[in-house]
Amino acid sequence: MDIFGYYIPIELLFILCVIFGVLIICSSIFGFISLMNKSDSVSELVVRTNSWWKIAIGITVVATAPAIIGTIVLAYVVFVALREMLSIIPLRTADRIVLVASYFAIPIQFYLAYKNYYYLFQIFIPLVMFVCVSIILVLTGETNRIGRSMAIIPTILILTVYMPSHMVLLFHVNVPEFTVGAGGLIVFLIIITASNDIFQFTWGKLLGKRKILPKISPNKTWAGFIGGVITSSLLGIVLSFLTPLNYIECFYVGLSLGIIGFIGDSIISAVKRDLKIKDTDDLIPGHGGAMDRLDSIVLTTPAFYYLLIFFIEN
Amino acid sequence: MKNIFVSFIYTILVRPWLTFIIGVSFHNIKPLKDANQFIIVANHNSHFDTVSIMAALPSNKRKNTCAVASGDYFGKSPFTVTLMKLFFNAILITKKTKPGHLSNLELLDQRIKEGKSLIMYPEGSRGNPGTISSFKKGIAKLLKENPSVPFIPVYLDGFGRVLPKNKILIVPLICKVRFGSPLFATTNDTKTTLEEVKKEILNLKQKNERDRNQFDFY
Repeated sequence: MDIFGYYIPIELLFILCVIFGVLIICSSIFGFISLMNKSDSVSELVVRTNSWWKIAIGITVVATAPAIIGTIVLAYVVFVALREMLSIIPLRTADRIVLVASYFAIPIQFYLAYKNYYYLFQIFIPLVMFVCVSIILVLTGETNRIGRSMAIIPTILILTVYMPSHMVLLFHVNVPEFTVGAGGLIVFLIIITASNDIFQFTWGKLLGKRKILPKISPNKTWAGFIGGVITSSLLGIVLSFLTPLNYIECFYVGLSLGIIGFIGDSIISAVKRDLKIKDTDDLIPGHGGAMDRLDSIVLTTPAFYYLLIFFIEN
Repeated sequence: MKNIFVSFIYTILVRPWLTFIIGVSFHNIKPLKDANQFIIVANHNSHFDTVSIMAALPSNKRKNTCAVASGDYFGKSPFTVTLMKLFFNAILITKKTKPGHLSNLELLDQRIKEGKSLIMYPEGSRGNPGTISSFKKGIAKLLKENPSVPFIPVYLDGFGRVLPKNKILIVPLICKVRFGSPLFATTNDTKTTLEEVKKEILNLKQKNERDRNQFDFY
């Protein structure tokens, strides 16, 4: 469908209307409740919904704008997430030069993804940056606790840069007779991951009794986990019109994303528990930091990409 | 003309650079709009401290606010002096004052009487990242001389990692500028006032650590 001479696939337009429709309904309900009942929990819901509006606008830009703009927006989001992770983890003064090097890895990684230099993209962070980080640390000459930094910094780079950068590769997925394009794939991935978080929380609150990871997070229960995974699988079937896959394949994708999203959430929760903090930052009002929101999507992005490629090729 | 140029630089370049690239966030800047004259008292870890506080001020307050800086450190080259005077309205004070000149305290007192606001670091030096060392008495004496001028406590978090002492490499990392509300010294005793000021900054530090744990996550 053409809007101001700009082509947006009808499926993408439909799903974006649904997202903003849900947000309008939520905003009006919470706004109405907060008029009558000025409690903290209601005002926090309002704050959270306002943040969801901003996130939804960001998603719309990435999904509908040309690939170059989407790439730049994603690279900046990844920069914010990396900055947050490097800020919360205590590192040595001697590591500062390596931190600058890690920031420069972001534009390079996203350029490789944008240009679809697939093999360079694959090796850049796990191989090149791993060696660079280690050799720069060696050259600083400060050997006290050097092994800790050599382990932590490449891990953070893989988690916050390498994994989410797979989203840019979705711009290059080419399937004949699939007209929705990369925007649909990105929206599919983000909706499944975000709603998986929300449904795991909701099911846990409604039915949850037995805790799944009592030492990591008190909010995660078996009922929440299973309910969330089932809901994501069903949502995958419902949203299959955004992907080139059929219903059964979409069911498997939803199922995997549900489980992997839970794993990502738990990893960041465990790190936060170790550092004795509850949120990574207070960047997004009501949600905490960028990494609090991206915790599950960093892991679901590569999983979705490789599942998609597997199903398309077979 | 000079004022327009400086506020243009701050709003177009410095502030976006601080928030979007370095990762500075400003908290509770509303009380600054109502205060007419004030002495900002902050902990000191980095050269970035003054840049961030100046960037946080509204532009009509910024032109009346002077940063108190060490003349022994910044006064070495005329170029830095010009820059300091242009962007921070710096008052350079030296450890040894020349005979016949005003003493440091008299100089600052005179500036306050002229209606200027000040930015002061009672720790004196930048020290080690993350630590607050003991405060010097000058701030308490100034508050005693000028009972009508409130002090605004500011806690700066994380700047010691962005640009520590004796380093030139700037690393983007999250840091916070947390303003308190304007307060007046309650007693005439300099020692008590000094303790009050330090307590306010430590309170802000505590609040900073508590805020991280405020929300439930899902």
